Amino acid sequence: MAEQDIALMAHLLRRAGFGASRDEIEAKATQGYDSVVQELLNPETQEAVPEDLLIRYNPSYYEAAAIENNVQQWVWRMINSPRQLQEKVTLFWHMIFCAGHSKIDSGQEMGLMVDIFRQNGMGKFDDLLLKLSTNPGMMYYLDNTESHKANLNENYGRELLELFSLGVGMDEDFNYSEDDVKACARAFTGWNIAPSYPPFPHGRSPWVFRFDPADHDSSDKTFLGETGNWNGEDIIRIACKRPATARFLARHLYNYFVADEPQIPAWRLTPPRDQAAIEAMEKAYYDSDHSIKAMLEVLFTSDFFKDEAVRYQKVKNPTEMVVSLLRMTGEFKGYQPGLFEASQEPKYMGMDLMNPPTVEGWHTGREWIDSGTLVERINFASDLLGNTELAGVRSLVDRLMGLGAKLTPEQFVNGCLDLTGPVVVTSDTMGQLVGHASQEGDLSHGSDAEESEFTRRTGEMFQMIAATAEFQFE
Amino acid sequence: MATHFFGLTSRTYKYSHAVGRAEFAGTGFRNPTDMAIAADGTVYICNRSYENRPDGVHITVVTMDEEYITEFGSYGEADGEFMWPTSVALDSKGNLFLADEWLNRITKFTKDGEFVSKWGVAGSGDGELKGPSGLAIDADDNIFVVDAGNNRVQKFSLDGKYISQFGSEGSADGQFNNPWGIALDGEGHIYIADWRNDRIQKFTADGKWEASIGSTGSGIGQLNRPNGLAIDADGDIYVADWMNNRVQVFAPDGRYITEFHGNAELSKWGRDKLAANPDMIRQRSLAYANNPGYGQGLAHPCAVKIDPQGRIVIIDHTRNRLQVYIKEAEPALV
Repeated sequence: MAEQDIALMAHLLRRAGFGASRDEIEAKATQGYDSVVQELLNPETQEAVPEDLLIRYNPSYYEAAAIENNVQQWVWRMINSPRQLQEKVTLFWHMIFCAGHSKIDSGQEMGLMVDIFRQNGMGKFDDLLLKLSTNPGMMYYLDNTESHKANLNENYGRELLELFSLGVGMDEDFNYSEDDVKACARAFTGWNIAPSYPPFPHGRSPWVFRFDPADHDSSDKTFLGETGNWNGEDIIRIACKRPATARFLARHLYNYFVADEPQIPAWRLTPPRDQAAIEAMEKAYYDSDHSIKAMLEVLFTSDFFKDEAVRYQKVKNPTEMVVSLLRMTGEFKGYQPGLFEASQEPKYMGMDLMNPPTVEGWHTGREWIDSGTLVERINFASDLLGNTELAGVRSLVDRLMGLGAKLTPEQFVNGCLDLTGPVVVTSDTMGQLVGHASQEGDLSHGSDAEESEFTRRTGEMFQMIAATAEFQFE
Repeated sequence: MATHFFGLTSRTYKYSHAVGRAEFAGTGFRNPTDMAIAADGTVYICNRSYENRPDGVHITVVTMDEEYITEFGSYGEADGEFMWPTSVALDSKGNLFLADEWLNRITKFTKDGEFVSKWGVAGSGDGELKGPSGLAIDADDNIFVVDAGNNRVQKFSLDGKYISQFGSEGSADGQFNNPWGIALDGEGHIYIADWRNDRIQKFTADGKWEASIGSTGSGIGQLNRPNGLAIDADGDIYVADWMNNRVQVFAPDGRYITEFHGNAELSKWGRDKLAANPDMIRQRSLAYANNPGYGQGLAHPCAVKIDPQGRIVIIDHTRNRLQVYIKEAEPALV
């Protein structure tokens, strides 16, 4: 199989999923790029996670109350779900529609909110926003439960426009006014939560959305130039029609799946990195009646996505770092103890899943990396990749041996880079890796002693690769 | 005077009381998977908890009147420890046996919780185990282990000597798909909750298939991943219909009788907990007014047993409590 096919498929699986084992990458490359894209875009054609078995072996996952249980279950799905793009899109929305456990204080509500992203994340954007706007966790997080006809709280109204749909501005102009924020908030009055059972003595009941007509401001409102007795659903319909919403979604999708963009607050003044790519996705949004899937189809089949120039240019977020390594090495496939610790790793690297720092979310790109998180990233990656006793790592060592009875240091380094990515490194990095490998000369694996040495040196080289700057990117 | 009775009319049931609350230690349970009830009414609850709260993994010993006696065992791999406990059973001397589906072993404790011994080897050969789930001990002190991953039931002596086995993977009569619970009746029949085939299968004492009850679904007599089950003195069959959040009752010939969806009122320990947290009394009161039924229902019931008084005791897994029902000769006034 052509090396470029493997590299392109590895790129697709890193971006549209959480990476894959080498065997899976090769199988998918044989299947063909376009066919794999269709599988990813149509999760219902892929096997579902066996919910009954998942709960049988983890009975606490059912109506899980503890936040750790919800995070752990989500990480399990990222590792194990055959519907990889669905899980990747779930994380995408969680990073935009930010609400956190620090305020919500209910792991179950965080899990339910994330499931909305899983079930609706590739559908019509209007529907997703309506699910979000009737999600009790979000209603509470952004104070809509404290917004009343007689005493307005504008928080949800503002964030819906600023962070969840239109964005502050584009093309150096502003997308909405303070009056629009107020009208928006008024339209959402009366959208509230029914009383729920407390944690003691048997656990909380799930929170339930409840509309209180007596608390709803039913007077006329002018929102983005349209006047009427709008409710929240009308607001969403009007906002979703706006070019700013198409732009907002296209830039977010580009930033997450293609290449790092500037941080969101800069978007009003900073033009997109690839204007044509953004316009193509905006067109798909309108042509498809606001379908996220249609935008993703344009993205994954485009030249701007396949372009070698965008590969290894995006800093892996901590969740991608952790889950892709677990998938590459075959860890936590199926049902076994030990996932709790692994599921906390993204937090140690600065991404506390289900608990973003603010409603603005995490700052992405190079801001994932600082001296503390870099050490966590490198340690986690090198501990895993350097452990040649793990079945997944062992299989990479065996493949490397399959390259020949004797490998020069250059062949060895190239083989290791190929199997852990394929990772593309600068000539400077390549020089350092080959320089290290050359200190101990050529590699053979004919005798038991040579095989043991080959294995040791491979684990060591994998650890060195895990510590390169290039490995921080995907 | 004139009445119309539809269906079986000779049995009625009445909710009795609830036992327990959610706790990681002491007076409560955490993700209980099974229980064993001794002749004197002592109840051994097997708590699975979850990974980041290993302090919740142990056996809690209580009475049916909700008196706390003690707890023993802890999370781990050493002697007397367990990781993924699925089931417990008592022998004729009152010793407790526990199955661990991750460690593939059976651990024996005295009735006071002292570790006695352990056995079990991972594998699929005779006497080897792959994810043991249900346990039952017959009148002659043979122990039956539902060997879920190997889709069979194995019979051992109490010290782990292999005796015999029956079952294989599949959906034909006598075959299993990831079976879970087991119960024995007074005549030595063996009933298996054939979990992923959504049915109960009845066997003779030597493993010959006799009958099946149930099919996939949520209708009358249908099952969605049944796990625990029990047979009472009349031969009636109680099935924890796990993912349907109910317990179904079948006559000995397999006819549907009735079902329990849960009627829990606050347990004694539940009241104690709320009394110490007045803000939650207020919150509960508001929630109750809005949706009184929610707090009563069964949520993933996963085991059902008959106590020495003939009461039906259900592990209401997700709510971390027991719900107890009484079978009455005279119809209950409800």
